[in-house]
Amino acid sequence: MNLIDNDTLQAYVDGELDATTTARIDAALVHDDLLRRRVQQARALRAQLKAALDPVLDEPVPARLSALLQSARPPQPSMPIKPLAQSAGRRGFGAGRRHTSRRWLLPIAAATASLAVLAVTLWWHAGGLVGVHDDRQYAAAALSDALDRALASEPDPHAPISIGLSFRSADGRICRTFINRAKPIAGLACHDDAGWWLPVLSAGRESENGELRQAASAMPPAVQAAVDARIRGEAFDAQQERAARDAGWR
Amino acid sequence: MDPSQVVREGLIPLLPRLRRLARALAGQADDADDLVQIVLERAMTRAAQWRPDAALDKWVFAIARNAWRDELRARGRSQRLFAGEEAGAMAADGNTGPAQKLELAAALASLPPDHREVVALVLVEGLSYGEAAELLQVPVGTVTSRLARARSTLQSYLGNDT
Repeated sequence: MNLIDNDTLQAYVDGELDATTTARIDAALVHDDLLRRRVQQARALRAQLKAALDPVLDEPVPARLSALLQSARPPQPSMPIKPLAQSAGRRGFGAGRRHTSRRWLLPIAAATASLAVLAVTLWWHAGGLVGVHDDRQYAAAALSDALDRALASEPDPHAPISIGLSFRSADGRICRTFINRAKPIAGLACHDDAGWWLPVLSAGRESENGELRQAASAMPPAVQAAVDARIRGEAFDAQQERAARDAGWR
Repeated sequence: MDPSQVVREGLIPLLPRLRRLARALAGQADDADDLVQIVLERAMTRAAQWRPDAALDKWVFAIARNAWRDELRARGRSQRLFAGEEAGAMAADGNTGPAQKLELAAALASLPPDHREVVALVLVEGLSYGEAAELLQVPVGTVTSRLARARSTLQSYLGNDT
């Protein structure tokens, strides 16, 4: 029996309710398992969307965009605008494209790349390898185990998850890149009190002939950029990596 | 300072959020950046229309949303047809194993534009219902009902709807 309708529940999750109604739902949550599950699902969806799209904030802004905002320019367009409709019509033929940011070479990849990042997140969540804690995503299960235990210097060819770089970030935490061998999925994990926080999850890249690049060195640009933004000094060598593991990644 | 300079300088720190919003709306990365380019051009052209008492981010988000709608119209239904086929293929398969879940994300693309934009504005950009309603020029109740239906669609693709 549920007296709280979907719109109210959604407003609760989105922080849109007044204090009285919020308190009423807080109270109902204590003894209503179904309601609690619905709240958790709505929060998880929100967290998944954020996790899929927030990495855009950390990407370098393409020069062609920031150039439009350089000062001492007249407000007229500094480059010809190409309507999306035109570029969409050409997609897949590879002809006449702008030279900037056209990395998706396969028609299928081009069509699905947009969703790949979100898909990755959903897939990882679905597979139980990612959990949400305080609205942040953390490694779980096999991913967490691999980050805790695996050493890049002693790769296990049968392990589903391969570790790339380990390094200390500018804020003092230890971070590790990883890639899933079976799926073209990669990411960055940084260790904190709650476990392995995952600031970046990304789809792997496909090479020009369509084969998946699975080497840990072929990190997707988003992961590479996240490493570059965080790393302090050099990546760990084998000895430092082992020492960091022995010290509990602190 | 003349208005165009104020707007230009105000837009620089907003670029990452604008790119995120465009990604949520347009999906594919280079389509999204093409959209951002159009938005910046329009914002600069219309800089004189921006009033300093209006928040610049909402103002430019509204331009982005309208530009996206214009592009959708220009593009016709091809994009949605494609996404619809993907979604249809998934819906036909009752099994929601991990492989299917990878494709479930296509659900975001298959949302109708009026659902997708509220997801982008409220769930991704963090606007309040009231802010989204003002930006979209619809009543708050319309925002909440679209958002609820969009959520329900996305949850059902995730296979965890109750």
